Amino acid sequence: MTTLEIKNLSKHFGGLHVSNDISMSIKKGEIAAIIGPNGAGKTTLFNQITGYISPDNGKIFYKGEEITGSNPEKLVKTGIVRAFQVASLFYDETVYNNLHLAALSYHGKNWNFFSNRHASRDIEDHCRFILERLGLSKKAEVKAFELSHGDQKVLDIAIALTMKPTLLLLDEPTAGMSPDERVKMTRLIKAIHEEFELTTLFVEHDMDMVFGIADIIRVLVRGELIAEGNAADIQNNPAVIEAYLGYEVL
Amino acid sequence: MMKRYKDLVPWIIYFLVFGGMLFVRGGGHYVHLAMQIIILGLFATSFNVLFGKTGLLSFGQALFYGLGAYITGMAAKSFGPDYFMWALLAVPLVAIVVSILLGALSLRLSDVYFTMLTLAFAQLAWGITIKWYGLTRGDDGIQAIPKPALLTGNVNYYLFSFLVVTACIYFLWRLDRSPFGSVLEGIRQNSLRVTFTGMSVFRHQLLAYVISSSFTAIAGGLYAGIDGSIHPDMFYWTMSGSIILMTILGGMSGFFGPIIGVTIFVLLEDMVGRSTEYWSFVIGIIMLIMVMIFPHGIIGIATYFGKFFARKGGQVDNP
Ligand SMILES: Nc1ncnc2c1ncn2[C@@H]1O[C@H](COP(=O)(O)OP(=O)(O)OP(=O)(O)O)[C@@H](O)[C@H]1O
Ligand SMILES: [Mg+2]
Repeated sequence: MTTLEIKNLSKHFGGLHVSNDISMSIKKGEIAAIIGPNGAGKTTLFNQITGYISPDNGKIFYKGEEITGSNPEKLVKTGIVRAFQVASLFYDETVYNNLHLAALSYHGKNWNFFSNRHASRDIEDHCRFILERLGLSKKAEVKAFELSHGDQKVLDIAIALTMKPTLLLLDEPTAGMSPDERVKMTRLIKAIHEEFELTTLFVEHDMDMVFGIADIIRVLVRGELIAEGNAADIQNNPAVIEAYLGYEVL
Repeated sequence: MMKRYKDLVPWIIYFLVFGGMLFVRGGGHYVHLAMQIIILGLFATSFNVLFGKTGLLSFGQALFYGLGAYITGMAAKSFGPDYFMWALLAVPLVAIVVSILLGALSLRLSDVYFTMLTLAFAQLAWGITIKWYGLTRGDDGIQAIPKPALLTGNVNYYLFSFLVVTACIYFLWRLDRSPFGSVLEGIRQNSLRVTFTGMSVFRHQLLAYVISSSFTAIAGGLYAGIDGSIHPDMFYWTMSGSIILMTILGGMSGFFGPIIGVTIFVLLEDMVGRSTEYWSFVIGIIMLIMVMIFPHGIIGIATYFGKFFARKGGQVDNP
């Protein structure tokens, strides 16, 4: 079954073509990676899939239904949830409260303006479960801005997971991490992918991670998909090697 | 248990101070001051739902203050004292309609333009009130607004205002601690993330704006009954500006901060106003100094000392 299908997607900013006739599909349960140099249009592609900006042309389908032009908050409720390249948190709040707000939304309590926000046991259990699962329990009462960079990235993903996604989009989950943290993050992503039965699409510069866990890899250069395949296909693809030449070692 | 008790402390102080005013004998002047304080206190607390809570600076909440006052004043003046109460009940309903319209227009814009547009709407309302003499008596304002017999007399009217204001403030206090309040705090800190946790920023801001504006209008309606005298200046930008100032003075990060700010402001105005004709100048200077020394307002000082003593007691905030 196809979870996400993109057909002939195009987007430009002025004269800059950030998405150029992109087509691809992602099967249910897949871990798919997108790689490409800085400025290739990876984040912009995520922004279109999640409804944050709308494409100039082309269509996006989710579980067979067209979602082009839907707004992000609706898409989140249908299961398309993202984490960000730069962790997007409620920095003055505790780790627990960061998840708590997401859980209020998930349980449909966000319009309730008269009860105590901490009254619901279900919501508390929900948050505790995610915290436990992502190894953040001990830091539950720490303010988000006090966390290490690595933990902030984990919290960013934890907020996304609280929304119980079907399709999880991760924008450079290991950005700015130490080699040690990268290994842990890679394991974590693989583990939650299986445990939460996700379809995962991620953007990454760390090739160990990409070749280690992705079922399928796509290469985006200047808004265009130039290659698609498994690790071996990509490593031996001449167009990919050329695109990356002098930029980064595969 | 400890926590619940701590939540009650500000309420106990609130009831001691403002409930106590009912028992001040022969203190007509002070009851009159207390009346102004609780009514402006409701205005400032409502304003802070937008400002301190949601991070939206409206420079035009005077529009709703004036609206409430004029609906009440004109109805009682034209149809008789019995309509004072009916008008007061109609005030929040009218404010809901008006604020949905104005909010839907202004909240679509980014922060600075929201502030400018709210200011523009309020100034427009002020202009209309001044010019439309046939309806509003223009710059003369409306005088001798009649009230039902039951609400006549300083003490009676204070008791009535105290009950209404307390009910409103209790509602806003519940909102402050509610899930919806959580969403508003989230919008202030990171609206992008609120969107990506599946909630419409615009719709939550709109509800906050409607609630804030409706309670402001109720405060305006109550004001019409204090001296039975209202004036177009209730719509003017200086009114909105004073509320912003009082809120910052008291502290926008605590629920009771705005009321503290209003109390200090009104008492200062009373003291200084009696001894010098340059009172607005003197108050300006005092406010400036206070805001410079205590950037987080009076509430900020309280929480600072609160934390200081908590540390001394050996409590650990974070594990
Ligand atoms: N809203 C915007 N308006 C104009 N230009 C934009 C906008 N968003 C992105 N761009 C430009 O589009 C190009 C692609 O940006 P994008 O963020 O999608 O790249 P990326 O592949 O995610 O890069 P990186 O690896 O650095 O994160 C860049 O040149 C960027 O400057
Ligand atoms: Mg990017």
